[in-house]
Amino acid sequence: MGGLLGLLMAPALAQPTTLTVLTHESFNLDKNLIAQFEQASGIKLRFLKAGDAGETLNRAILTKAAPVADVLYGFDNSLLSKALAAGILEPYRSPQLPSLRSEFVLDPTYRALPVDFGYVALNYDKAHFKDKALPQTLADLARPEFAKLLVVENPATSSPGLAFLLATVATLGEDGYLDFWEGLRKGGVRVEKGWSEAYYTAFSKNGGDRPLVVSYATSPAAELFYSEKKLTEPPTGNLLLPGSSFLQVEFVGILKGTKQPAAARKFVDWLLSKPAQENIPTQMWVYPTRKDVALPEVFKWAEVPKEPAQLSPQRIAQGAERWVREWTEVVLQGQSALAVRKARR
Amino acid sequence: MRRLEPARCGAWLVWVFLALALLYPLGRILALGLGEGLGPTLANPYYWGRLAWSLAYGLGSSLLVVALALPLAYAFRYRFPGRDLWLSLATVPFVLPTLVVALGFLALVGPRGVLGVDLYGTPWILFWASAFYNLGLVLRMLVAVLPALEPPLAAARTLGASPWRAYWRVGVPLLAPALLAGGGLTFLYSFSSFGLPLLLGGARYATLEVEVYGLLAYRLAFPEATALILLQLAVLALVSLLYLGAQRRLALSLSAAPRPKPLPPAAAWRLAAGVWLFFLALYAPLLALLARAFAAPGALASAWTGGDFTPGALALANTLRFAGLSLLVALPLGFLYAYAVWRGERSLDLAGLFPLMVSPVAVGLGYLLAYPSLSGSLLILIGAYALLSYPLLARALLPAFRAMPKGVLEAARVLGAGPWRRLLRVEWPLLRPALLSGTALALAAVVGEFGATLVLRRPEWATLALAIYERLGKPGAEPFQEALALAGLLALLAGGLFLLLDRGRRGLG
Repeated sequence: MGGLLGLLMAPALAQPTTLTVLTHESFNLDKNLIAQFEQASGIKLRFLKAGDAGETLNRAILTKAAPVADVLYGFDNSLLSKALAAGILEPYRSPQLPSLRSEFVLDPTYRALPVDFGYVALNYDKAHFKDKALPQTLADLARPEFAKLLVVENPATSSPGLAFLLATVATLGEDGYLDFWEGLRKGGVRVEKGWSEAYYTAFSKNGGDRPLVVSYATSPAAELFYSEKKLTEPPTGNLLLPGSSFLQVEFVGILKGTKQPAAARKFVDWLLSKPAQENIPTQMWVYPTRKDVALPEVFKWAEVPKEPAQLSPQRIAQGAERWVREWTEVVLQGQSALAVRKARR
Repeated sequence: MRRLEPARCGAWLVWVFLALALLYPLGRILALGLGEGLGPTLANPYYWGRLAWSLAYGLGSSLLVVALALPLAYAFRYRFPGRDLWLSLATVPFVLPTLVVALGFLALVGPRGVLGVDLYGTPWILFWASAFYNLGLVLRMLVAVLPALEPPLAAARTLGASPWRAYWRVGVPLLAPALLAGGGLTFLYSFSSFGLPLLLGGARYATLEVEVYGLLAYRLAFPEATALILLQLAVLALVSLLYLGAQRRLALSLSAAPRPKPLPPAAAWRLAAGVWLFFLALYAPLLALLARAFAAPGALASAWTGGDFTPGALALANTLRFAGLSLLVALPLGFLYAYAVWRGERSLDLAGLFPLMVSPVAVGLGYLLAYPSLSGSLLILIGAYALLSYPLLARALLPAFRAMPKGVLEAARVLGAGPWRRLLRVEWPLLRPALLSGTALALAAVVGEFGATLVLRRPEWATLALAIYERLGKPGAEPFQEALALAGLLALLAGGLFLLLDRGRRGLG
């Protein structure tokens, strides 16, 4: 059986060098651009996708002993410490580093190089709030009249969900965040598994009953870019309450044990080079980390939050697992914030 | 020294495949989690609550589906306009990605649904969804069994039993195994269902399977996940044993292909009206989805060429290609499995249902550990698809095997045909109709969303289901419309495949 299949699936011809890139579902770059790189470098690129950012990193960690790829792209700052602690990445000081915005070079050991960044932010449905008041602060959201308007993603199964949870921890503190989430639960917040489910089944713009959704600060711009009737302004807006949005920086790293270190470095350099960085905004709806790249016109609708919440990768590494567990206990298992706090030793 | 019999060879082959494609990878994952964490997990009342809900959902679904399918199966004993069409279409929901089905339900009875009733987050919508998925399977089983009740019932009547008494004392005991089998299969599917409860019921209605997914894929929390997987396996193995017991007691000799009875035209139309109404109501979410999908005709055209996303054309080609390749594996497997079980290889009976019982996420991660050098190869993908589809094929074949007229086989043996020759010249032709039916089901399992989370895959391998998810991962009206258009295409493709293949209606076992 296996032999027969092997014959059927044998690759037609072995390529000179094939570089395998492990990445998440949202990875996308212009096909022509990729083809140009392949021609110029003589490297054939093979992309492997494995769900979202968290799942992808876990698959790299799980297969540490026998790596399935040469390069890992798409783990963000909330996963950075986990990736570094797992010891799956090789250091590489790319010659492109000086052209990148230094505030995003979060790994002094250069095992993870920043490729792009964006913000997880609250979006609202403009039609719903035309003559209604919007919440003014993050804490406002937990009030019953707003909690029943909000849909969030489960931080245990979604990276924007985790980012929003981290924002609440950073803004409201170790104790306050649990009270906030308890308020949301009592007020009737809706929880979905992932971004697609939240945005396309729960968000009122797409037929759901929730005019507030945890999404990205670039979503309104994408709504305009992909609108059917070519609108002049997006149907959704960013609700940038202080401390409600969270910076996400996405990294690339070379996996330990790669048999093609030279090709892997070439690919990383190219990902940080001008042509690839210029392509990133409208392909993945994030900002390039390179300083000398002009943004496309439609990005004027994508606001950069003035007061995003911040947590260091170290603090995230120490707390994330526990915060997600406590969130699950309070929001899904229905325990009280007080009881959960008491259970902390 | 036993002779090399086809049944024995078949059983061995199936075991080898199961060991490679399921037991070894799953074992690798469970091994990571055995030890410390099992106790605390099992002590957490939250997980027991999840188990309780999963059980309630499974049981409620099977009762509901059986209660709906039985009267319907009686209607299907008669010939009426549209009978064959509905019997074929009843299995289409099986192939649709859950996110798409959820969109259909929400378009109809969501917060802003066309009907104006909001069922989101209520158990009602979940049970409806379960009937939507499973009714077709159970209906096909019962349609195959009911005609076989006629002779014994007639005999009881001749011996002086009143119609009701005959039914209670003869009909019901004969029917019970089929009802148990149908209910059991529905339970298996609902208990371990993943997407729909979560999408339509919100996080409150997550099943155990959802917990396993979160624990494994996001947290790498192996001890907790292992505990839950074992718990799930225990429940499902128990139910499967009941189901298999029921199946073996299906002592009715099924007539080759039950022919529907003719009705006078007026009655036939009345019956048709009733059945059509029922199905239109049951499948209304699908119709709502199709209506939305083809509302914007431009969307299909732009989805076809792709733009920023996987082109629909490529996704369609991939879907057909992978379906074909996995059939190459699943067909012989399913056939050999059914054949071996029929020839009395009892050990296989439960093991063959195994793929329906384990968490796909666990198996997928197991593949990475077990076969790192193969990850991202077509071999793993096809193996996974075959694993998920062959049990369905085999379940469809088994009743046909059991219904083969013994006289013919005996005659062949007396006339000196060996087992291999009998298999090729006698049994194979008798089985072909059921095989086509089973193939249709197996295809359904493959063209649907299975495997989406299962293995590492390459973008150039995107199937229709994945192309739909990809579009639903971006904000904006255009990707959304394209996703709906592709979902409509997927539904039509599945329906078309069924109508083509589903000539030999034997029902399922």
